[in-house]
Amino acid sequence: MKKKRIIQTFVVTLCAMLLLSGCSLPGLGGGSDKNSIKVTALSTTESQILSYMIKDLVEHETDYKVEIIGNLGSAYVNHQALVNKEADISSTRYTGTDLMGVLGLPAEKDTAKALKIVQKEFDERYDQIWMPSYGFTNSYAFMVTKETAEKYGLEKVSDLSKVSDQLVAGADSTWLKRKGDGYDAFQETYGFDFKKIYPMQIGLVYDALEAGKMDVVLGYTTDGRISSYDLVVLEDDLKFFPPYDASMVVRKESLKEHPGLEEVINKLNGKITTEEMQKLNYRADNDLVEPAIVAKEFLVEHHYFDDDKGGD
Amino acid sequence: MENMNTWEQLLTYFQTNGSYVLAQFVRHFLISIYGVLFAAIVAIPLGILIARHRKLSSWVISMANVIQTIPSLALLGMIMVVLGLGTNTVIVAVFLYSILPILKNTYTGIKSVDKNLVDSGKGMGMTKFQVLTMIELPLSLSVIMAGIRNALVVAIGVTAIGAFIGAGGLGDIIIRGTNATNGGAIILAGALPTALMAVLSDLLLGFIEKKLNPLANKTIS
Repeated sequence: MKKKRIIQTFVVTLCAMLLLSGCSLPGLGGGSDKNSIKVTALSTTESQILSYMIKDLVEHETDYKVEIIGNLGSAYVNHQALVNKEADISSTRYTGTDLMGVLGLPAEKDTAKALKIVQKEFDERYDQIWMPSYGFTNSYAFMVTKETAEKYGLEKVSDLSKVSDQLVAGADSTWLKRKGDGYDAFQETYGFDFKKIYPMQIGLVYDALEAGKMDVVLGYTTDGRISSYDLVVLEDDLKFFPPYDASMVVRKESLKEHPGLEEVINKLNGKITTEEMQKLNYRADNDLVEPAIVAKEFLVEHHYFDDDKGGD
Repeated sequence: MENMNTWEQLLTYFQTNGSYVLAQFVRHFLISIYGVLFAAIVAIPLGILIARHRKLSSWVISMANVIQTIPSLALLGMIMVVLGLGTNTVIVAVFLYSILPILKNTYTGIKSVDKNLVDSGKGMGMTKFQVLTMIELPLSLSVIMAGIRNALVVAIGVTAIGAFIGAGGLGDIIIRGTNATNGGAIILAGALPTALMAVLSDLLLGFIEKKLNPLANKTIS
């Protein structure tokens, strides 16, 4: 008798769970709705802005509903969500990250080659399409203030070699210790050393540079503070840092299930430059505008909502 | 923006993103409510049942207790394996967390009904069902309500963590704040409405609970 009750309770709970997993509740969208498209995003501002761009664009151009699964911790979680068919589109994936992380292949320093490899591998291994890049790349880069650049005539990283013994640098603490593309490998490739290099938290390097506490810092190329502080990003002329070009990744099956989707999302390819992305990030991080609104602003500004023009 | 203090930033944030915050607020509330609602549908009948069968009660309550001891992030992770990412997983987590308070309060409520009242009901020739709906439930309703109130406040907290698995809600705003360099204002912009929601729903349900307590109204007249 007792056991029977417990089993009954268990069955009821299980049924409730199955019922829940199978239906969509009013007001929340998504669920079993066959037409809804699920887009994943990382927890970064950049990724969230792009996921909202996809959402707004698709919802404007088609009748599909788009649901965003945000705040996923890593590229790997994003990848798993697509493999497990829990999502249709991964809004931001970086060539360098996925090449080494998801695919487990050696780093490829050439941008075009790296893109080609991930496109081919994702097609063959996972039946997914790695889209052409949005047009921006979010990799590590050395940057200096405009004054420093003019003072020493700096354009490329190798220009630093003449004056590096006078310069104090700051870099991400994990990068300093990293093997392969860390500081040790950097010294080998470029053949110079800074006067002193401080391990820092990556979010603080831009302010430290602006405040004059550092002469050179290693930062991310799409950070909004680059344009607001008017920093100069030094060209990685010896191609030391692997490329981190950003693209969407889409399941082929989803494209088949949603006719017309492919054309719409293709409209974002190559449309966002690194400088543009810096501005968008700055708008969200500094001006406290939510990524959802930043995305809409971008689409309106670039005429994505004017029906006959369809984006420029 | 750098020269503003946190409160000024917070105000600017609400001005520029008001509609977004409101949408997330509604979403957050709905996720919590759905979970608690489903829990009530399961836990109230179950509570009545275990109040009738005392041997069963210790079993069922200790099972609900076990669920309660699992940390919310771990519970979300476990349900995620079955249900995947998104809202439904969070609703199930809220559902599981809400079972214990509602179950326990239903059990206690029914148990604490004066035996003499039940007996006199039976003496008047009431059926079992009539005893339940006309005596036991009305008398224990305020206690059950207290359980639901408890569950809802916990649920709002759990839903905030649900943002980690892509359910959205106000937790989304909090997480974004923790990732931004000077995100203090953004964190507050997510945390304050969450707290507000918890306090408001607690007050509202507290009010309903008082209204439903038949003894409180009767003693005055």
